Amino acid sequence: MAYHKPTYLFLFLPILLLIYQIAPRKFRRGVLLGAGYLFFWSISGKLVLYLIGTTIFTHYIGICLELQESRKKKRLVLAGGVLLLLGVLGYLKYYNFFAENISRMLEAAGSGMIIPARHLLLPIGISFYTLQAISYIADVYWKKIPAEKNLMKLALFLGFFPQIMEGPISTYGQTAEAIFRCDPLRLENLSSGAVRILWGLFKKIVIADRLYTLVQAVFDNHENFGGVIVFIAATAYTAQLYMEFSGCIDIVIGSARMFGVKLPENFRQPFASRNAAEFWRRWHITLGEWFKAYVFFPVSVSGPVKKWNRYGRKKFGKYITKAGASAMALFPVWLGNGLWHGARWSYIFFGMYYFAVLMAGIMAEPVRNKIIKTLHINEDASWFKALQIGKTWIIIIIGEMFFRANGLRAGIQMFQSMFGRPSGNLMTLGLDTADYVVILYGCAVVGLVGILRERNLLDGHMLRNLKLPVRWAIYYGLILAVLIFGAYGVGYQQVDLIYAGF
Amino acid sequence: MNTKDTLLDILNDIDDSIDWKEQKGLVDERILDSFCVITLISDLEDAYGVEIEAAEMIPENFNSVDAIWDMITRLQEKL
Repeated sequence: MAYHKPTYLFLFLPILLLIYQIAPRKFRRGVLLGAGYLFFWSISGKLVLYLIGTTIFTHYIGICLELQESRKKKRLVLAGGVLLLLGVLGYLKYYNFFAENISRMLEAAGSGMIIPARHLLLPIGISFYTLQAISYIADVYWKKIPAEKNLMKLALFLGFFPQIMEGPISTYGQTAEAIFRCDPLRLENLSSGAVRILWGLFKKIVIADRLYTLVQAVFDNHENFGGVIVFIAATAYTAQLYMEFSGCIDIVIGSARMFGVKLPENFRQPFASRNAAEFWRRWHITLGEWFKAYVFFPVSVSGPVKKWNRYGRKKFGKYITKAGASAMALFPVWLGNGLWHGARWSYIFFGMYYFAVLMAGIMAEPVRNKIIKTLHINEDASWFKALQIGKTWIIIIIGEMFFRANGLRAGIQMFQSMFGRPSGNLMTLGLDTADYVVILYGCAVVGLVGILRERNLLDGHMLRNLKLPVRWAIYYGLILAVLIFGAYGVGYQQVDLIYAGF
Repeated sequence: MNTKDTLLDILNDIDDSIDWKEQKGLVDERILDSFCVITLISDLEDAYGVEIEAAEMIPENFNSVDAIWDMITRLQEKL
């Protein structure tokens, strides 16, 4: 089961809504929790025990934290809790990666020792619910929230069915209360949730699944392609990833909305960003917020960074000190971000790529400001904004190319071949003219909606305020677009959700 | 004992072209970015003898001179 599949949309969700509505209020929490575990079980089977185990452990750590009087003991409990949660994630997700690489190093050093690989199964969504569990423990430690005494409430927070596969990663303060409240279904929530789901399906099935064909054809046979076609494929993958991930999040947010739960947004027109730092404030927002709150800031106020700030100010001046402190706080964030996506060198490279880009931005800031001042450039001028957005697109597309490439070596080869002799033909990549037309029109519609949102001309209430015939014309238009232009049938594959694999 | 003026001196040291007293959205409007906050933390700790923990790193505590000052006085009371 996955959020874009008929089993979820036409069976799981409607039946759940029905049971939820007819169940007495006091049983609704049980219905939602059962639905979460059933959803999890339908994908990962008995590995649902990991989620249940994590919930019980997190609950216990939260209460332990509150019971401790001394700060030292609190710190120990926090460290123990975080390390165990990360330990389980690390073991299941990265054991084989490190075993393989250590074995290779030992082999290169002449040692015959090999660390054997293990057959490890990864529970669905472990990377998402583990981060939520850590945020809960840290928030209790920082006294932002009290420890939750009710195990059911914490279980609902960690096992809320729409968030299991791809997030968004929420903090306890953001969603726990609304999920636990179990409000009765309301027509307003049902209709706005359904429209959001429809919008997500449009992005996923009409655009992303079509682009998948082109992307797969080039990335899986990259040796046969060169020049502009590699850049087009990298651009297509960036668009595919956005349409798919944001489309899935639309379905997730729409599903939660039907039950009266408002989940945090994960995207805010990322392609309108004027630099890489802004892009990461608009793309996968909840992951960025998590790293900021639970890695960047704790490292920023740690002893070594504070010591560096004092030492650097005396010895090297403001500029070097700020750059050094930023590097110390950003490095673990981007190493973590890369590794979070999976145990592959290309993901580590992806993280380090953004670390380098952001550091370059910080280092170049004084020079950039000086140039702008000297040349009297109006930073709000359209041409300047367009230039900045274009530059950011190139940074993003190159980053996503390495992210998608079949290994780091393939990524480097593709990057080099982009500047080589053009080879390959767009019409032999599994898509015909009609497909390209649908993709272009689809992207134009999504782009137009993005522009309207960016200019605050479109919000959730606006659709409701439209005249009935106009509103229904939009609904039918979306339904028909998904039904007629959706990429299914002969020649298309059911494409799994990319972020569910993380 | 360092006063609120010391805080203004610290902020002016970051950028003296900003009228810090007038700003009410230092973090929200990105006048003060995360990287400036990192260096600001050490300066505040040295000047006021407080310890600023990660839990304090929220926009509400850094959005204006008054907000920063409120945080400092609150942390001083804890000492």
